[in-house]
Amino acid sequence: MGIALAAGKYLSWGVLSMSVTNACIIALMVLVFVLALLIPFPSGNDRHRTDPPPPPERPAP
Amino acid sequence: MTTTLRPEDRTWTAALKDRLSRALPPDQILPDRQPAYVTSWIYVFGVVTLAALVVVVASGCVLAAGGSIWWHTSSLGHFTNSVHLWSVEVFFFAMVVHLWGKFWMAAWRGHRGLTWLTGVVAFVASIGTAFTGYLSQANFDSQWISGEAKDGINSIGVGAWFNVLNGSQMLTWHIVLLPLAVGVIVVLHVLMVRRHGVVPPIGDEDREASR
Repeated sequence: MGIALAAGKYLSWGVLSMSVTNACIIALMVLVFVLALLIPFPSGNDRHRTDPPPPPERPAP
Repeated sequence: MTTTLRPEDRTWTAALKDRLSRALPPDQILPDRQPAYVTSWIYVFGVVTLAALVVVVASGCVLAAGGSIWWHTSSLGHFTNSVHLWSVEVFFFAMVVHLWGKFWMAAWRGHRGLTWLTGVVAFVASIGTAFTGYLSQANFDSQWISGEAKDGINSIGVGAWFNVLNGSQMLTWHIVLLPLAVGVIVVLHVLMVRRHGVVPPIGDEDREASR
C-alpha cells in the first residue's frame, strides 16, 4: 500500500504518460532556460577577463 | 654540434608531440581571456554540468569503496548516496539547459560539428550510465526497474549481451565502462571547445576571437 501511494500522480495523453514530478522538473528547466536568457550577467569581475564589447555603431553623417 | 634529423629518422614520440602542439596550442587550451559575449547566464550551464560531474564521480568512488550494505544501513552511507543522486539530478538538469542553449544558437557553426557530436554522444552515454546506476542500487527499486527494462532490452535483441537482470554486469557497466566512456568523451568535448573557442551568438560571429 505504501509503495502504491509513493508511486505518485501521472499525467496521461493517450499512450503517453508522465509523472507530475517529471513534468514539474521539465517546466523548471524551461523556466531556468528563459531566465538565463533574460537576466543580465553580473560584470566588473577582473579575474575573468573578457574582450571589451565593440563600440556602438554611429549613424552615418 | 647540431644534427638535423631526416624525416624518416624522426621518432613516433617526436611526431606525436608535433601533432599535439599543432592540434592543441597552449594559448588556446588554457586561455586567459574570453570573448565579451560569454558574459551571459546561458554560457554557464556547461561548466555547471562539469562541476556536477566531478561531484558525481567523487561520491560514486566513495559509494563503490563502501559497498551496498554501507550505503543502505549507515547514516554516512545514506548521505553519500543522496549526494550521488542529487549531483546526478543537477548534472542532467544543467546538461539539458546547456543542450537547449547550444541547439538554439546552432553551436555546430564555425567548424564545431565534432564538438556538437561529442556533446550528443556524452549525453547518450550519460543516460546509459544513469540507467545502469538505477539498476545498481541493490534494493526493490532496482529490482523493479530491471524487471521492467528486460522486456525493452530484449525487444531490441541485445538482452543476451546486456542483461539488465545481471546485477554484477550492470554494476561493472555503471562504475567502470560507461564512466570511462563519459570521461573520455567529456575531455574530448572540452578540448574541442578550447580549440575552436566558445560559439558566438547568432549574428555575433565578427566578435569571435580569431583562431
